[in-house]
Amino acid sequence: MNNRPEQLVPPFDRLPEPEQIAQMATWLAQAGLDSLELTNAAAGLKLRIRVGQAAPVPPAAQAAPPQADAGAGRVAVTTPYFGHLCLTHPLRDAPFAPAGTRVAQGDVVALLTLDSLQVPVTAPVAGMVVDVVGQPGALVGYGAPVLHIQPD
Amino acid sequence: MSEIPRFSRVLIANRGEIALRIQRACRQLGLETVAVYSEADADSRHVHEADIALCIGPAAAARSYLDADGLLLAARLTGAQAIHPGYGFLSENADFADAVAAAGLTFIGPTGASIRMMGDKITAKRAMRDAGVPCVPGSDGPLPADMDAVKAIALQVGFPVIVKASGGGGGRGMRVVEREADLAQAVTLTAKEAQQAFGNPTLYLERFMQKPRHIEIQVLCDTHGTALWLGARDCSLQRRHQKVLEEASAPGIAPETIAEIGERCAEACRRIGYRGAGTFEFLYEDGVFAFIEMNTRVQVEHPITEETTGIDIVAGQLRIAQGEPLGIAQPDIPLLGHSIECRLNAEDPFTFMPSPGTITRWDLPGGPGIRVDTHVVAGYTVQPYYDSLIGKVISHGATRAEAIARMQVALAEMKVEGVSTNIALHRDLLADPDFRRGGVDIHYLERWLARRTAP
Repeated sequence: MNNRPEQLVPPFDRLPEPEQIAQMATWLAQAGLDSLELTNAAAGLKLRIRVGQAAPVPPAAQAAPPQADAGAGRVAVTTPYFGHLCLTHPLRDAPFAPAGTRVAQGDVVALLTLDSLQVPVTAPVAGMVVDVVGQPGALVGYGAPVLHIQPD
Repeated sequence: MSEIPRFSRVLIANRGEIALRIQRACRQLGLETVAVYSEADADSRHVHEADIALCIGPAAAARSYLDADGLLLAARLTGAQAIHPGYGFLSENADFADAVAAAGLTFIGPTGASIRMMGDKITAKRAMRDAGVPCVPGSDGPLPADMDAVKAIALQVGFPVIVKASGGGGGRGMRVVEREADLAQAVTLTAKEAQQAFGNPTLYLERFMQKPRHIEIQVLCDTHGTALWLGARDCSLQRRHQKVLEEASAPGIAPETIAEIGERCAEACRRIGYRGAGTFEFLYEDGVFAFIEMNTRVQVEHPITEETTGIDIVAGQLRIAQGEPLGIAQPDIPLLGHSIECRLNAEDPFTFMPSPGTITRWDLPGGPGIRVDTHVVAGYTVQPYYDSLIGKVISHGATRAEAIARMQVALAEMKVEGVSTNIALHRDLLADPDFRRGGVDIHYLERWLARRTAP
């Protein structure tokens, strides 16, 4: 039986997709484990997944559909869930995507933190970040605008 | 009287008029409110009035009002210590009630165990029978697999019988059998449907009452051993098992009869250790009450009981959840006058198709004995994602005739534009001679509608 553990956890050179985090949390819960921590010091990444007894599995967050009504062809990046908005990675000094940054489709541009859970906010399109409207640390709801991207 | 309150901030896990109703009760008791809402309800009245408002998901209820994990996370993030589920959505979900308690929060309602017991129609009926609540003659448990044994039960109960799924409800998973010859096929078919619809093929069987009325008893129980009954409601005017117009008390049924059945319901609550508000639903025919089910939550039609007893049921739920004693006894509860509720739906008055859209005019009635519970304001958009209830007009009078007259004037004053409503249907019903005599059965409205549309 081909039972290679590296297939379970994706290569940790970037934050996993929300679906992958949800899958890992499900495996943890099924295995009766309560937490998993991944660290990649070189890339400055650290991910801790914790599932309690009746703790909710992180939502299978789906990127909200791109909203192209942000004016001048801009696309608003909106939150795929609710939580405290985090514009800067907890282990880094620089924000994910300040105004003027180029982002690729699927890049993590912010995080939502819900206690020990973190839900990535990803760019729906590639382009240039033109402004950031989300307030760091604020409790934001589903679908709240975080920043605007001028698509390529 | 009570020591430290268990909670000071309540998350309202619902929408529409009941969310606003719960919010009002919270605010009157000095409790802060958290409104969690779907993207479609961002402009709702209770969202604007809330101390904290949080959009928790898109319009689809599965990802907002039915998202149990999301609601618990939202409570944690907003510092709410209690959750009021309202009606519908997760209000009768035993697992949710348990999860709220397991998270260290207060579920404003009964325990998960009570909800579970009442959710299964067979265990509910058995518990009621043990407590002396009258039940319709039936199989007193799951039907045996042996068809001859089933036939013997049916013959003893007497045809016509109705075969029902243990896990069913709301008119689904049931079949009427008129003759012995049709029994075997009906049982096989219903079991198959029940397995598909509810994941549970267990069936039971009851005598089918031909022309019953729907009579229900409101109860309110604290955690100090007090269980009160708050009179009866007659909810016989239904279309496709949906109540349309309700009244309290039940016309033509002697107060002593209601008192006897009410006391049995209260006694049943004491025996099972029931907590909070609840409703015992009965079919009533020829002087016989037959328990159908218990709803373990506040009901849409609770205001008519509030009008006739002067008791704020939602505030009662909150106080009970705080651990306070009710502080009143059964003799303290008056049954004053008569009250009627008309449910206003945004729907076509003839086809009953939902009529979503923006309400451009919303003139409400007023005057003595008129109450309107609604989340709607002029400019509000009725969403297509949820039920079409846009409000409830409640009238109260010293007599049934006065309550009807006040309701007729109220509905004549009420002006709604932008969406279709069922106000015309209510006006016609209030003028109907049979309704005005009182005591129509649960099939009356369907027959009346069929007659109306007949050429």
